Amino acid sequence: MEQFTTIGLNHYLTISAILLGFGLFAVMTRKNAIVVLMGVELILNAANINFLAFSKFNGGMEGVMFALFVIVIAAAEAAIALAIVINIFKLFKSVDVSSIDSMKE
Amino acid sequence: MHSLIQLSIVVLLLPLLSFVILIFFNRRLPRRGDFIGVGILGAAFGISAYIFWSVIVQTYDPAFRVAWDFTWIDLGNVPGVGPLQIRMGVVIDNLTSIMLAMVTLISLLVHLYSTGYMAGDKNYGRYFAFLGIFTFSMLGIVLSDNLFSIYIFWELVGLSSYLLIGFFFEKDSAADAQKKAFLANRVGDIGMWLGILILYSQFHTFSFEQIYANLAAGKFALSNAWLTAAGILLFMGCVGKSAQFPLHVWLPDAMEGPTPVSALIHAATMVAAGVYFVARIFVMLTPDALHVIAFIGACTAFMAATIAITQNDIKRVLAYSTVSQLGYMVLGLGVGAYSASLFHLVTHAFFKACLFLGSGAIIHAMHHEQDMRWMGGLRKHMPWTFATFTLATLALAGLPLTSGFLSKDAILAGAIGFAKVEGGGIFYLIPVLGFFSAMLTAFYMGRQIWLVFFGESRTHLKPADNHHAGHHAHDSHAAHSDDHHAYHGVHEVSWNMRAPLVILAALSVFFVYSPDPLDGAKGWFMKMIPTPATVVGEANPQIGSLHAVTAAPHLAGVVPTAEAVPAVAEHGAVAGEHGEAKGGHLYSDSRQAEIVHAGHAAHYTAIYISSIMVVLGIGLAFVVYVFGIIDPDKTAQAIRPLYLFSLNKWYWDEIYDATFIKGSMVLAKMLSWFDTNVVDGIVNGVALLVRKFAFVNDSFDKHVVDGMVNFTAFTVNTTGAVLRKLQTGKVQTYVAMLILVLFGYFVFYFTRLIRGI
Repeated sequence: MEQFTTIGLNHYLTISAILLGFGLFAVMTRKNAIVVLMGVELILNAANINFLAFSKFNGGMEGVMFALFVIVIAAAEAAIALAIVINIFKLFKSVDVSSIDSMKE
Repeated sequence: MHSLIQLSIVVLLLPLLSFVILIFFNRRLPRRGDFIGVGILGAAFGISAYIFWSVIVQTYDPAFRVAWDFTWIDLGNVPGVGPLQIRMGVVIDNLTSIMLAMVTLISLLVHLYSTGYMAGDKNYGRYFAFLGIFTFSMLGIVLSDNLFSIYIFWELVGLSSYLLIGFFFEKDSAADAQKKAFLANRVGDIGMWLGILILYSQFHTFSFEQIYANLAAGKFALSNAWLTAAGILLFMGCVGKSAQFPLHVWLPDAMEGPTPVSALIHAATMVAAGVYFVARIFVMLTPDALHVIAFIGACTAFMAATIAITQNDIKRVLAYSTVSQLGYMVLGLGVGAYSASLFHLVTHAFFKACLFLGSGAIIHAMHHEQDMRWMGGLRKHMPWTFATFTLATLALAGLPLTSGFLSKDAILAGAIGFAKVEGGGIFYLIPVLGFFSAMLTAFYMGRQIWLVFFGESRTHLKPADNHHAGHHAHDSHAAHSDDHHAYHGVHEVSWNMRAPLVILAALSVFFVYSPDPLDGAKGWFMKMIPTPATVVGEANPQIGSLHAVTAAPHLAGVVPTAEAVPAVAEHGAVAGEHGEAKGGHLYSDSRQAEIVHAGHAAHYTAIYISSIMVVLGIGLAFVVYVFGIIDPDKTAQAIRPLYLFSLNKWYWDEIYDATFIKGSMVLAKMLSWFDTNVVDGIVNGVALLVRKFAFVNDSFDKHVVDGMVNFTAFTVNTTGAVLRKLQTGKVQTYVAMLILVLFGYFVFYFTRLIRGI
């Protein structure tokens, strides 16, 4: 019973895994580059949850510190990625990632 | 350098200068430059006469010798052999100075004579140029002190004789004759070169002096047979140049050249070279080699004499008489009568030059008629020619009071002495053939004189159809077709053709050479050219000297005993001071001493027999041609096979034609067959094989090599086609693949983890 009432590490990890799954799903299936970026944010936050969860259950501050760094990097990444998306839009008049396949050549 | 050496080099180079000037500039000079040729030869003769005067007249020393040489080619220190050098040099001794004077004098006279004889020829200037190089080559042979330079000038003589014999090269017969002369000489020269190489391989020097010094010191490492072989091989050069049996065939054909050239070839320049060369190598000839030489000389003398009696061409009779006389000279050298042989060389040179120039005068006057059968009665028309020609004929026949008598007698005396010393019956064949040839000589020369100068003119007897055939054979430069009226125009020749005849005839008289008309040995010539002591006698000098001492008692007067041993020790080691004492002869070799002694003893026997033979010969000529007791035509019919044998020159040309020429043709045909069938077959077979192999190779290339290349390309292509599909260019595909791989890795990792590995 206790395992249902008490929130343990597995709960966190499960939430994180689900979040990662959503993120991956968004990245792999969505056509809009903005939505893909949102999927990436989800993946990063899934990782954050993992860091914090392990930090909580293991003691120590390393996980918290890592989570903080990830948030900072996620912000930077979002800024750069949006800049790239704007440039892509300028170039291709579209943000549809499935139609941008010039890497093929 | 001795002043005589310097002068002799000037003499040598003057004719070369004449050649160079005339060959390049004769068309720009007045009279085509003939005065340059005559003038230069005159200068050369003047210098030669001075050399002759200062050596023979002033010095009068049998052992006189000056020499000078220099290193021509230095081969350095050849590995395994030692230092090698080729040296060139000039030697002047009595023989050289006599030969120099003789060659330049005859060449000068021939030049002078040619200004008349060759006048109007279209190649007049070139003719004098060739005479110049011919004289130059001969002077080179005369002056050389070593085998190497003699060989060079020897070949130059061959070349210049080739040029002059074929001077009328538009005629096929002249072109053939020049080729024949050149080829016959080549055969001899090969032998000569091999002989030179045998000596060089032993002593590493070409110099006569050093070779003889080495031989005398017994340094010849090979067996005596090799030395004999070297001697005979060197003699082969003489066989070619001096027209000895069996290479004599070229000389009669050389009559195709202009007649003055025949005089030059027969007297001074070419045939004399062979005899002169054998004289130079005389001291190294072994007794065996000398026997070969003697027999070849005797055969030549006899054979040529028998041929000469039936020839009708005036020049051919003289040509065969030259061959016969050269046979005498070679015979003389072979039997050891060295002085006599060279004496005959010089006397013969003068009277034979006179005879040839005389016959040239006759041919010139007769408008290029050469057949004696259609001559006759010329005595009244050409008194000068008649007188000189007759005098020279008497000298050739060997009548007393002439130079020819002195020299021929000396040779025959030597031959008798030789036969006595050798003792064998077969050796008596040599003097017997010599005497018999002397008789034949007298006969055919008597016949010639009679046919040409006496009787009535027979020009009108000449058959008309023969006329043309005969005409092509003449050495004509301006063909006259009115031979039927020839006698209207017969007259004595001009002074420039007469003067040489007179000078040469004057040199055919005995008192030029000897005060005693019966004994040449009393004259200056035989005293100045003593027989040199052999360096190969009795295998080595030590044994030789012993023999000289032991042989002395029964050779008293020839070998002074007391002087023999020191003289022998000296001889050979010190050049120019051979073992000959100045007063008399002194030989280390007993055989040579005996032969010289016996030769002197046989002197009067030779005189008697040869006089009888000459009188017999001339008598026979009188009986047949003057008195008409024996009809020559009927006699010829009676002994027709012999007559034809002689008329056709012993069939030597036919024999050579059947053997060597046909033989080489057959050989050439065989080689041609071999070429077309075997060599070409091999080549074609190889070509076929290569083609087949190429086909195999080609299909291998097409199927295997190309197959491999194409297969590789195909594989790469296919793989690429598959892999190309993976690269979509879409980011999401790549992410999917990334995740798939990661997933696969996790599966793999966890599987291992679960299995507890």
